[in-house]
Amino acid sequence: MTGNVLVILPHVGGKPKRTAFELLTVASALAQVPGGRVSALLIGHSAARAAGNLGAWGVERAYAAAVGPDGYAPLSWVRLIADTARTENAAVILLSADSIARDIAGRVAARLGGALASDCVGLRANSSCLTVTRPVLSGRLLVSADFKGPGPLVATLRPNSFAVEAPARPGAGALVPLTVKEQEKDLRVIATELANAASGCPELTEATIIVSGGRGVGSAESFRLIRQLADALGASPGASRAAVDAGYAPHSMQIGQSGKTVNPALYIACGISGSMQHLAGMRTSKCIVAINKDPQAQIFRFADYGLVGDLFVVVPALIAELKRKT
Amino acid sequence: MKIAVCLKLVPATTADIRVAPGGREPLLAGVEMAVSFYDEYALATALRLRAAFPGSIIHALSVGGGECVRCLQHALALGVDHALHIQSPGADARAAARLAAAALRPLTPDLVLCGRQAMDDDLWFFPGALAEWLDWPHISAVFSLDVAPGKSAVRCRRRFEGGEQTIEAVWPVVVSCDRGPHEPPIPTLKGRLASRKMPLPAMTPAELGLAAADLEPAMAPTHYAPPTQRTPKKMLAGAPAEAAAELLRLLRHEEGVLE
Repeated sequence: MTGNVLVILPHVGGKPKRTAFELLTVASALAQVPGGRVSALLIGHSAARAAGNLGAWGVERAYAAAVGPDGYAPLSWVRLIADTARTENAAVILLSADSIARDIAGRVAARLGGALASDCVGLRANSSCLTVTRPVLSGRLLVSADFKGPGPLVATLRPNSFAVEAPARPGAGALVPLTVKEQEKDLRVIATELANAASGCPELTEATIIVSGGRGVGSAESFRLIRQLADALGASPGASRAAVDAGYAPHSMQIGQSGKTVNPALYIACGISGSMQHLAGMRTSKCIVAINKDPQAQIFRFADYGLVGDLFVVVPALIAELKRKT
Repeated sequence: MKIAVCLKLVPATTADIRVAPGGREPLLAGVEMAVSFYDEYALATALRLRAAFPGSIIHALSVGGGECVRCLQHALALGVDHALHIQSPGADARAAARLAAAALRPLTPDLVLCGRQAMDDDLWFFPGALAEWLDWPHISAVFSLDVAPGKSAVRCRRRFEGGEQTIEAVWPVVVSCDRGPHEPPIPTLKGRLASRKMPLPAMTPAELGLAAADLEPAMAPTHYAPPTQRTPKKMLAGAPAEAAAELLRLLRHEEGVLE
């Protein structure tokens, strides 16, 4: 049971983001089941540029809506997505599980009379239903659940959870520009100011490698060590709530229950004890390395590799070893 | 101003949760329960606003079975003015949003506060669905909220990838809360004792004009499992330089996660 799939394609700087290809791979697999088609909707001022080359990814029609990100009006996005889903008669709408999806996906599902499945790490179709797999209870369990309608399924996919593969059957990739007529009603809520944290490294939620520091790092100055190891690995630096609360790192770096949920291929936890709240934000990482001087630290129970030792010795040793190799 | 807060009782985030044989369901009997983490921040925000705008009133509302009573007594103990239990055991997020919309409409609040996600289904569905069915704007996952006096508008701050955003909406509005700088208050013993004697009215879906067919679960869970159990494949010992070199070798050649 699928039908047509609409992908809300994440893009930046006129290019699809890496997660976009995960969404497109899943979309093609779903659309195959009863012979549906894949379409994409790109929203933002460089949407048309990013929509240029999507035929190879199985996209029949790429809708590009040129609304600027500076006046983000969530209700306009909801209207655009819901209207395009109706035009495409979409049975599934896929988004990357980012903060915009969290803002609007539930509302899109409600408007279309469907259901929402957030942070999916698995999504497949058979002849009678769609089956999602997603973490619940702060990542303590994974649930598989069937959806049989009514209405479309709106699913947000957790980045780095799905293999990327171009489909055997390409699509037409026809570009369809959309003009957005702003409706008074949709301007009841609007973002008025964006403050970007200056940073050259990938978003934590999309990063493939993360080096994270906890209370054990001890001070804001020594947090530099975490950033240096991250730099040496091409990784993004993260922090536990304890480190953020102690003022060692900004909240934008916080991973865990009251921060971000991440899903990298490699997660290196330095001086992090491994509270349930922290685990909630990182336990789906593919490979977890823990560095802690306390051999009893809970983090070791969730790590693939453990290194008992002083992070102020181990981390510089890692940096030195990385520099030696390159 | 008239404020409503939606609360849910969920398994405590620190509780260990096991699964029934065959993975049919999570075993929740005897598991410690708590007001959902982010709902506590919604409640704290409501109390702060009422203190700032004298004459404001707070309605607390919870959808579900008998567990709602504990949520609502917690809110009453902290001093909310009214509590309402919407009786719908096992309601999922979509059903809860439908019921809450039906219950809130006649209360005509200016502002509805809730947590950004419930700490059991982790779905992020309730706030947006509630706002959609009320036909109000909503703002999600805010860590700060200000009301412009006399302006009938809220101004919020929220985090998003790579930065922070200021976002404004006109009343009436649904706002879901992230963890903010003000930690949730803890009820006093006096407040807790008083809350047990306060009225706790309840309504049924039928009284709100909704039938069982309107409240069908959106999804049918078929299987629960703990995430892959990791046994440390390797604890690395030895001098730091050797351990570091061995770790990098493993990450490159065994795991293939480093170039």
